[in-house]
Parts: sequence; structure tokens; C-alpha cells
Amino acid sequence: MSLLYEMNQKALALGVPISVHLDVTYRCNERCIHCYLDHDDHGEMTTPEIEDLLAQLADAGVFFLTLSGGEVFMRRDFFTILSHARRHLFNVKVKTNAAMIREPEAKQLRDLGVEQIQISVYSHRAEVHDAVTKLPGSHRRTIEAIRFLKSQGLKVVIANVLMGVNVDDHLGVMALARELQVPYTLDPTITPKMDGDTSLLDLRIAGEQLGQIFRQRELVGNVEEFCAPPTAPDESVMDGYPCSAGHTACYISPYGDVFPCVQFPLPCGNIRQQKFIDIWRTSAQFNEVRSIRARDLPVCSTCAHVGTCTRCPGLAYIEGNMRGPSSADCEKSFQRTGIPSANMLRGTTARPGPLVQIQPAPIS
Amino acid sequence: MILGGLITEKYISRSSAIAARLVGGEMMIMSAVDSTFFTLNEVATVIWQAADGQTSLKEIVHTRICSDFDVDLAQAQQDADQFVSELANHGILNVSPIPITGADSR
Amino acid sequence: MSASPSYAPLTTQESICIVIGGTRIAVRTTNLEFVRMLADRYIGFMASAENSDADLDVDIFDNSVSADPDEDLQVLRDGQEWVMRRGDFFARWNPATCRGHVRQAANPYAIDSVLRIIHSLVLARRGGFLLHAASAIRNGRAFLFMGVSGAGKTTISRFAPADANLLTDEISYVLAEQGSYLGCGTPFAGELARVGENLSAPMSTAFLLEKGPENRIEPISKALAIRALMRNILFFAHDSALVKRVFDSACKFANEVPVRRLIFAPDQRVWNIIG
Repeated sequence: MSLLYEMNQKALALGVPISVHLDVTYRCNERCIHCYLDHDDHGEMTTPEIEDLLAQLADAGVFFLTLSGGEVFMRRDFFTILSHARRHLFNVKVKTNAAMIREPEAKQLRDLGVEQIQISVYSHRAEVHDAVTKLPGSHRRTIEAIRFLKSQGLKVVIANVLMGVNVDDHLGVMALARELQVPYTLDPTITPKMDGDTSLLDLRIAGEQLGQIFRQRELVGNVEEFCAPPTAPDESVMDGYPCSAGHTACYISPYGDVFPCVQFPLPCGNIRQQKFIDIWRTSAQFNEVRSIRARDLPVCSTCAHVGTCTRCPGLAYIEGNMRGPSSADCEKSFQRTGIPSANMLRGTTARPGPLVQIQPAPIS
Repeated sequence: MILGGLITEKYISRSSAIAARLVGGEMMIMSAVDSTFFTLNEVATVIWQAADGQTSLKEIVHTRICSDFDVDLAQAQQDADQFVSELANHGILNVSPIPITGADSR
Repeated sequence: MSASPSYAPLTTQESICIVIGGTRIAVRTTNLEFVRMLADRYIGFMASAENSDADLDVDIFDNSVSADPDEDLQVLRDGQEWVMRRGDFFARWNPATCRGHVRQAANPYAIDSVLRIIHSLVLARRGGFLLHAASAIRNGRAFLFMGVSGAGKTTISRFAPADANLLTDEISYVLAEQGSYLGCGTPFAGELARVGENLSAPMSTAFLLEKGPENRIEPISKALAIRALMRNILFFAHDSALVKRVFDSACKFANEVPVRRLIFAPDQRVWNIIG
């Protein structure tokens, strides 16, 4: 097993939060149609607050720090925050739309030794991308920034959120990424708004389209393997945790709220009231999340996909029950393999089986 | 390093082009240059933490390794030299014949 | 890392981590016998020494030197640090770095005292305190039984029914957390000489014990409640800043948690009115 995997296992055994995702602001220069955030500033952490938080995170054993938002460059002190983070020797990844990055910013990012920059690109066509971000010219500026960053030797990754409005362009984005010599990831997940408003879910691509995406060799590699029906789960699967949220990773909002994950908005504490390590270790909410294994999920533990589903406990929580199903992941597992999930078979969400073509009897 | 029969001193300091964290008594280090990932065991971590650019490797081995671990000076010195070389090849550690001052000593 | 040297440690410095109320204190020493003794004494309150909240280095000195545990305990502030002195030990503790050093005879009473003092200082910072009280958990809630020596703490502990978890019969641990209070088990045993259970539960009621002819719960004024708390809170130092902080904690506690007088006859029926 790789060294990194071993360190993760060690962190899990010791209860060390080696990964933290910190959103430094919810303000943004863009207004993406699928964004789940409230962009008004309700009192984001000040520079000294963030600096103190970074020191606490380093003491707690955090190694991987992802800085994101909103748009990180909306903060005038972002490079101050970044250099502080690097002084604490975090491995820093930045998520940004890069529309505000020019050569000087790219150079500074390189000098600070940022590990990776992740940038969202919604289409190879400017008009489609700008229609998502609602910022005219954002596509041009973002692509230009990618070139600046690459020329400085920085690692860049393009992330493409797949929605109904841009699903036809994903191969175009892939080609663009290849041309820019940048790795490309694709994600059809739409997160509901943090306040619970689920209207964003209408932006999701249709199930059948998802099925087609899953059968594209350029995206998934070995299609037969990727789309194979699940094999029977064994005991070790039932002992498993759904993901690292609350175990070796967590999320901190610009207001100091600590959640297991950005997609799991269960408030576990606020660093303006308690020390991070106290929240991490003693929060009742964290301890509840940590207690949940596959066997503790009433519906999902009975599902054929229990060992292979991408079930996000955060999306399940948003849906109403952190021990319940995540219907977005039920859909993914179904579209991928053709096998409906236990949740889908339960009745109210039952879907009709595939239509069977009746062949006429041969004429004797 | 041996020059004309004299064993010269070696001073080591930690590079700043890294990400590093102590977890469970062992160091996790990732090069910011090429993302190579290292883990240092207890002995290696002692050497790493003592690499302030001001203390010679010989002194580190003598006062921090041989004092606390069951190993003779010659073996420890040899192992330390090899270990330091490997980290230096990856740009994680700076090695110099004279004390190192400046930003890279932190 | 292929070239990482690997050797056996010479002076095996053992560490043992004792966790009470969620605070992990790693005790490090080269005296193996002492470690074994600690492991026995604090069974049930052990945790991994990785990422401890505080570190104590302990040097054991020769027992033949006069080591009088009955000599008065002296706890004084020395700049940033606290200094603790008694016939059988000398200790320094830095609350900012959470590091300390103890020189003591090879008996468990010294380390017991040091741990109690450190926990009491740690608790004070967060609005909690150690109390001369027995405590127990029943139906998921914690109950405190305050009183000085002879008030009946051990008696009431002895009568605790099977469905109650005894946290301690002597020194109770009251942790303040976001405006509410938890009662936590401790390994500090009194006459019952029984190590409490390593559990915690939200505080239901604090009782002021009084022996009487019948079992009865009576209300008491807030002023009396605070006075009773202050009388029973463990104080180690007459440091005015610390005393003020503890007084504030006692007032906040009395505002949040019902404090009542519990008059009881020395038999198990008193437990019928508790929990």
C-alpha cells in the first residue's frame, strides 16, 4: 500500500484531522447558477482570526489544507493568508475561478509553493461558460489564467460541473484540457443550497444522460468494469465508514463554523467560541457522525450497492437523515449498473423496471 | 566528506519548499517541487527536527541519537550520512560544509 | 524512506496517557515500575499518548529520602508557571505550553495530587471545577452529592443501585461546555477505594448532603447554593485571579443547574428520590 494510504490509516487510528477544507469567504465575483452559497458577507473571519486558526490547525496535525470560497481572491489578504499557511508548512491546494489571476498572481502562487490550483471550467465555448458564471468575459480570463499558471510551472486541474445546460460540451472541455495539458475531472453532483432550498437540483442532468456519461471510455476507462453490477458485500464492508468526513477531514466556513464536510452542513461547533481541537475531539455531532458504519444505515445496509455506492452522508443529511439514503447517489449507482438501489425499491420512490421487448413467436 | 584526510563538518537545514507535519511521532513531508512524499520514522524525525543549519550532523548524531538509542557512533554516523544524502537529493534537506543561516533554517 | 535509520531506544522512556473529562495528560518517565503502577491505578482512564493535551515528565527519586505525603501541600504561582511542593514531591506546571515536570517519591499519591491540581487549573480556564462530592449517573443524567468529610458522600455512594454508574465517591469533575455542565468520572477514589467509571453525562442536580431521619429534597436559596459550592470546590492556591474565576464559575453553575439540599437517612431508599 502506498505511503500516503498508510499515513491516512494512521491518522484514522489516531483520530487526527489531516485534511481541512477552509472557505475564506463566500463573496464571489461570479454568480454561478448552480452555487449553493449565500454570497453576502455576514462577518467573515478577520486576518488575525484566520492566522490563529491556521496555527491551531497545524497543532492539531492538519497536513492537507484546501483554501476555497466563494472566490478566494475577493479577499485582499489572500496572499497574506497563503504565506501564513505555507509558513506553517501545510500542503496547500487552492480552488478558484482564476478570473482575477494574472502573471504577478501566478508568480506569487508559484513562489509560495502552492501544491495545486483547481479551476472550474463549464464549457469550451465562452457563451455557455459565461452563462453559468453570469460574469461576461470570465471564460477568456479563466483560460488565460490557466496558461499563466502553467507557464509558472504550477499544477492546475480543471473541474467541470456537469449540468443540463452544459452536458453537451463535456467532450469539448476535455479537449480543451488536453490542449492546455491539464488534468480534467468531471462531477455531476449538484449540492442543494446551504439553507435547504432544493431548487438547484433542477439543474441536474437527466438520469439517462448520466448513464451515457458513465459509458464513455474516455471518461471512465474500462466501461465493463465501471458499470459492472455489484458483487455480494462481505462483513468488512458493513464495518466500513462512508468517507473521511469527521474521521480524518472536516470543513470550516468563513464564519468559523465547523462541519464534517462542505457538503454536510451539520454544525459541530464554531472556532470563535471554542478551540478547534476541542470541537474536533469532543463535539457531540462529530462523535455521532463517527459512530456511523454501513451496518447502521437502515435502508442502505440492505442495498446491493452498499459496498460500491458513492453515498455522501452529507447529501443524505441534507435530504433529512444522515443515516438515510442519498437519492442522488442512488441514481448514480442505478444509472451506472442498471440495478436499482434498495431506496428506489422501497415503494414511493420505486421506478419501473426496464421495458422488455416481446418477440413475436417464429412462424413454424 | 573527506578532504585530504580531514573529515569535514556537514551542516543540515530543512528546506522551506515542502509541506510537513508531525503525526504520531513521525514526520510526513511532501516536496513542494515534485510532490514526492516521505515519512520519517522516530530516529529520522529526531535528525529532521535538529536540522537547524547551526548544529553539525556529527553533533546531532552524538548528542541526540547515540544518547537515546542503542547504536554505536560509527554506525549511526554512517546511517545518518546516507539518510541525509537521500533527502538532499530530493531537495528536502539543505547540506553545507559551513553553518547555514537565513530563511531556509526554519 | 529506504535510508531512515532505525534503532532501539536506550533509556526506554515510557509514556502513559491518563484522560479525565476529555483532557489527555501524557505522563512520561523512565521508571518502568512506576508506569506499571500507574497503569493499574488508572485503569479505565487510559488513552493513546499521541496528540496529548498536556505532557508531564516525571523523575522518581530514591524512596529512602524523607518523603512525607502528610506535609502541607503548597501551590504557588511563579511568573507564568505554577509550582507545587509537598514532602514527597516537587512539580512545575506551565499552563500556556501545557508542559510540566515532577520530581517525586515512588508512590501514587504524589502523581494523584499533581494530576488533580493540573485538572483543576485546566477546568478553571473553561468554567469548570473539581468538587468535594460524590457523583453518579442515573438515567443518562449526572447527580452530585456535595459535602465535607463525614457529610455522607461515601455512605450515599455505597447505596448506589445497580442501574446507577458511580463516577466517584470523593472528587467530582464538573466540566463546562458551551453553557451546560457535564459530570465526568475520575480515577480519584476516596474511602470507597473504588475507581469511578470513565463516563460523563449532562448535570441534572447538585445535592448538598445532610444526614437526617428521613429522605427529603429541599430547595435552597441561590446564595446558599453558591456558598455551598465554594465551600466544596477544591482550591489549591490562594491566587486572587483564580479564586475570582472559580467564583464566577460557581455562580454560572448555580444559575444553570438546580442545587438542592438532600436530607437522607443512611439506607438505600434515598435513591428512590434521585434520578
